[in-house]
Amino acid sequence: MNFIKVIYSTLRLQMKNSFARPMYRFCLIANPIVNTILLYHMFLNSNMDNFTTYVMLGAGLMGLWSCICFSSAGDINRERFSGTLSLIYITPTSFSVILLGKVIGNTILSFVSLVISFLTALLFYQAPIHIEEMGYLMLAIFAAMICFITISILIAYLLTLSRKTQLYMNCIEVPIIFICGFLFPVEILPSWVQPISYILAPTWAVKLIRLSVAGFTDSLIYFKTLGILCLITILYVIGILLIYKLIDREVRIRASLELS
Amino acid sequence: MKRFITQSWLNFKGQKSVFNLAEFLCFDTGYPLITLIFYCVLAGYSFHTTDLTRWVVGNSFLLCTNTCIFSLGSSFTGERYHGRIRSIIVAPRNKLVIVLEKGLFSGIIAIITVFLGFLVGSGIFRVDFSRIHLFSFFLIIVIGMFSATGFGLLLSTFGLITDQMHLVLNLSSYALMIFCGVNFPVSQLSYGARLLSNCLPLTRSIKAANLLFEVTKGAEVIRLLLEELLIGGIYFIAAFFLIRMVEKVAIKKATFEVF
Repeated sequence: MNFIKVIYSTLRLQMKNSFARPMYRFCLIANPIVNTILLYHMFLNSNMDNFTTYVMLGAGLMGLWSCICFSSAGDINRERFSGTLSLIYITPTSFSVILLGKVIGNTILSFVSLVISFLTALLFYQAPIHIEEMGYLMLAIFAAMICFITISILIAYLLTLSRKTQLYMNCIEVPIIFICGFLFPVEILPSWVQPISYILAPTWAVKLIRLSVAGFTDSLIYFKTLGILCLITILYVIGILLIYKLIDREVRIRASLELS
Repeated sequence: MKRFITQSWLNFKGQKSVFNLAEFLCFDTGYPLITLIFYCVLAGYSFHTTDLTRWVVGNSFLLCTNTCIFSLGSSFTGERYHGRIRSIIVAPRNKLVIVLEKGLFSGIIAIITVFLGFLVGSGIFRVDFSRIHLFSFFLIIVIGMFSATGFGLLLSTFGLITDQMHLVLNLSSYALMIFCGVNFPVSQLSYGARLLSNCLPLTRSIKAANLLFEVTKGAEVIRLLLEELLIGGIYFIAAFFLIRMVEKVAIKKATFEVF
């Protein structure tokens, strides 16, 4: 019960803190709007059926990923910069639980970018939305949320090892959008890039969302994609536990949270 | 002149000193190149084309965004952050010189980055540069970067007027991406948006660079370049006057910000 209480209060606080930052507000509100405009014009003559839904999803997912890059990924470093990292670390509640609460808060709030992208397309272009499998889409979004939470924690821990978080936060935004096929199928990428795409969980999360929107004849394809996404996410969780153990050990040996 | 170059170099070094060489290359070259490749692949997919010349050209010009918009645009905010703004405001030195100092090395780096973008982009997407006049192409880049640097400097002065520079700089970078005809033709935009497009830097340089790949229209290219030069000049002058205005307010109100 205490665990849920900590998670809940942390995520609420995190949402407020994140929204107070101008960069986060830009990623959450302005980014999906401008991306929708840009992508709409790029796909306008694509002759794709249902291209507007494709554009809305792409722009929304880009906004979501930007929010994650400029919030969750740098959260530990932000606490360090504010001088509150050691205080959080020594509280009776495990640090990993607090971080989980922060990342859940950020991720839930970041999904608003999908809504903003949909609203932009509706208001600016009166774009029709056509979703084939609404129920499956809800499940896909839930799975994507879990996937983005785990990858955010993983990146947050990895970026803790450097003082130049700002640089790396900027450098992971576009490459992930690119190789995870947020805007086009990864199959069009060169064959040597595709294995990298397939080991990244967002690739499967995006595939799952796109399947639900476009529709499918065989539900086995959907559940196979979901299964792969779950498997990769579990591997990420194992990775997170190992990294946390390693960092925790180093912190105790050095008696310092300045790992870099 | 020596002092001008020394000050320019110090300004540039101050902006980049936080990074080592590998990080500088990664942030100022590697990341923009990945962005260029991303938008070219996206254009190939959405426009169903294999001839990506105009996207390689357009997105290469946009490679200057990191330097001209983000680095240069946040320079006065950086000065305030590091406590140098007081010295700059009260210094008897001409403020236009200070503005130009900030733009010199950023402009040079932007030219190199754009040229590198063309080389890498043309290599990956097989753009045939043999059929264009390379000197004209280089001239277009230089004039385009002059204009973009002026725009970046004007944006940098906003750092003295607002504390929302993240928003200003990011929106400006998206404005260039949407309104300059980089990823889709300007003709697709509404009338109002096309007017805005004409006031932005790079629109004409990108158009001129694209014209080089078509049947040579020398007079049209020269006209576009002259207009681009004029727009760049207007941005430099506007940046200068904005700083003068802030300077006056600073003296009157004994404060270094207008907001």
